[in-house]
Amino acid sequence: MKKILQIILVLTFTASISGFVLSSVNNWAKPFIEENRIKAISKAIFQVQSEGKKYEKLNINEMEVFKVFDENDKTIGYAVVNQGNGFQGTIKLIFGINEELNRIKAIEILEQVETPGLGSLITEDNFKNRFKNLNTQPLIQVVKGKLPSNDNEVQAITGATISSKAVVRIVNEAVEKLKKHNGIEK
Amino acid sequence: MDLIIIFIGAALINNFVLSYFLGICPFIGVSSKISSAISMGLAVIFVMTITSIVSWLINHLILIPYHLEFLTIPSFILVIASLVQFVEMVIKKVSSAIYRALGIFLPLITTNCAILGLALFAQMRDYTLIESIFFALGAGSGFTLALVIMAGIREELELANVPEPFQGAPITLIVAGLLALTFMGFAGII
Amino acid sequence: MKKQVSLHYEFLKGLWEINPIFKQILGMCPTLAVTVSAINGLAMGLATTFVLIFSSVIISSIRKIVPNQVRIATFILIISTFVTIVDLVMKAKFPELSKALGPFIPLIVVNCLILGRAEAFASKNNILRSFLDAFGNGTGFLIALLILGSIRELLGTRCIFGFQILPDGFSTLMVMILPAGAFLTLGLLLGFTNAYTKWKKEKSKKEILITN
Repeated sequence: MKKILQIILVLTFTASISGFVLSSVNNWAKPFIEENRIKAISKAIFQVQSEGKKYEKLNINEMEVFKVFDENDKTIGYAVVNQGNGFQGTIKLIFGINEELNRIKAIEILEQVETPGLGSLITEDNFKNRFKNLNTQPLIQVVKGKLPSNDNEVQAITGATISSKAVVRIVNEAVEKLKKHNGIEK
Repeated sequence: MDLIIIFIGAALINNFVLSYFLGICPFIGVSSKISSAISMGLAVIFVMTITSIVSWLINHLILIPYHLEFLTIPSFILVIASLVQFVEMVIKKVSSAIYRALGIFLPLITTNCAILGLALFAQMRDYTLIESIFFALGAGSGFTLALVIMAGIREELELANVPEPFQGAPITLIVAGLLALTFMGFAGII
Repeated sequence: MKKQVSLHYEFLKGLWEINPIFKQILGMCPTLAVTVSAINGLAMGLATTFVLIFSSVIISSIRKIVPNQVRIATFILIISTFVTIVDLVMKAKFPELSKALGPFIPLIVVNCLILGRAEAFASKNNILRSFLDAFGNGTGFLIALLILGSIRELLGTRCIFGFQILPDGFSTLMVMILPAGAFLTLGLLLGFTNAYTKWKKEKSKKEILITN
């Protein structure tokens, strides 16, 4: 009987102390973690909307969409986060698009696990810059082995066609969804 | 269709052992015979599947509703430890033959980082219950596959002339490296 | 009555003689996963050492009152508490490192090294010795991670800790950053450390024969 009592006491005591310590540390850490999260998403949004000064999160089913404003509170477009399957895993990206939804301003790759040296080159400026001022009407197309001849075409990275196509597909899907939302209600 | 992708992804493309480095200890320790590899693999698939269900329940019924996410690590690991204890008792009662075959491997599954890794990944990726189950089945099968292949190779290695300092863990790791290179070929099939 | 070893030895043995990675072959998972760069290896080593030291000290201080049946459960509870503390502190103060090390911080809790030392040493020795043992093992682990991380970073990106060491003409071995490279490097390192140990043993055997 004494043994069982001892077992219960030790376990309960340890679990309580552990719970107490953890909830204290958690309370201390929570504000910092939230601050980091906001810093990261702000940085990404203003990277793809360089004239933006403020933003507002919108309620659009499964996508993270932010309406971006300049310092005079005028809407300059949207920042959209979307993700999808790449070559080796999920690619998560954010792109800035104008209010009329027909010109990409810039893209940033947030998360990727593509092949180092090949697919991972989607994070390089060389590839990202190909999306600057890209026309999205008609949808973005990928071209291989030659320079784009239309303003809605993006040249794929040599040796990383699938990763390049994945990025384009993820952007197109998001643009489609946004357009469907027609006028973007809040 | 998505479920098949999750399964194949966990089993081949992002194989738990060869891409994520989970489950290395048993991988090195248990892979010297094909028969023990298969037993360990099956036990892991079983524990993984049940763990995925229980950890999903804990996550969605307790941790998230009561904002207790910071208790994830202690709660998951206690669940796994108890589950393994429980599975050991059940197997012992149901079939002492299987129990004897698995032997010491059963308690070792608790410290198999693959199980905890599985629970944490599923939580990170916000899988539904069904997705978690397929993820667990895929991960377990991939683990078993890597383990069995490794055991097959090591049985052949017994007959080869491996220099003494390299016998055991070193040569196993080098072979694993070559295996990892091969598995990279699976990327892009989905 | 146990033979009393010197306090220095309790610490030093963790660095080489029972080095967790090269001799005990424990804690493989994080070793292979996070050593893509020297800084990641360093961070992981420090995090693990922190958990190891605090867990060992606490476990050693309560070793006489924990009933045998709930030994493992209690140890795991204590270890997972410290791991969660490390995880939360990293997420709050070092978000980049936390993202880089990812799920491997929580996975410290199943690092066989920590439970292994708790079982083998902390539960049977006093606080001071347990502290030294944990400190030594943790440092040994850290050194091994640093070596592995530096080699992989150097051969894979020409840099160590982000500083370029090798000239631009050196073609990088991409495989070093991939899982395959991790396995190969660790396997070769283990083989060489075994060879060195064997050579040392033969040498001292020969010396004994000669002096006789």
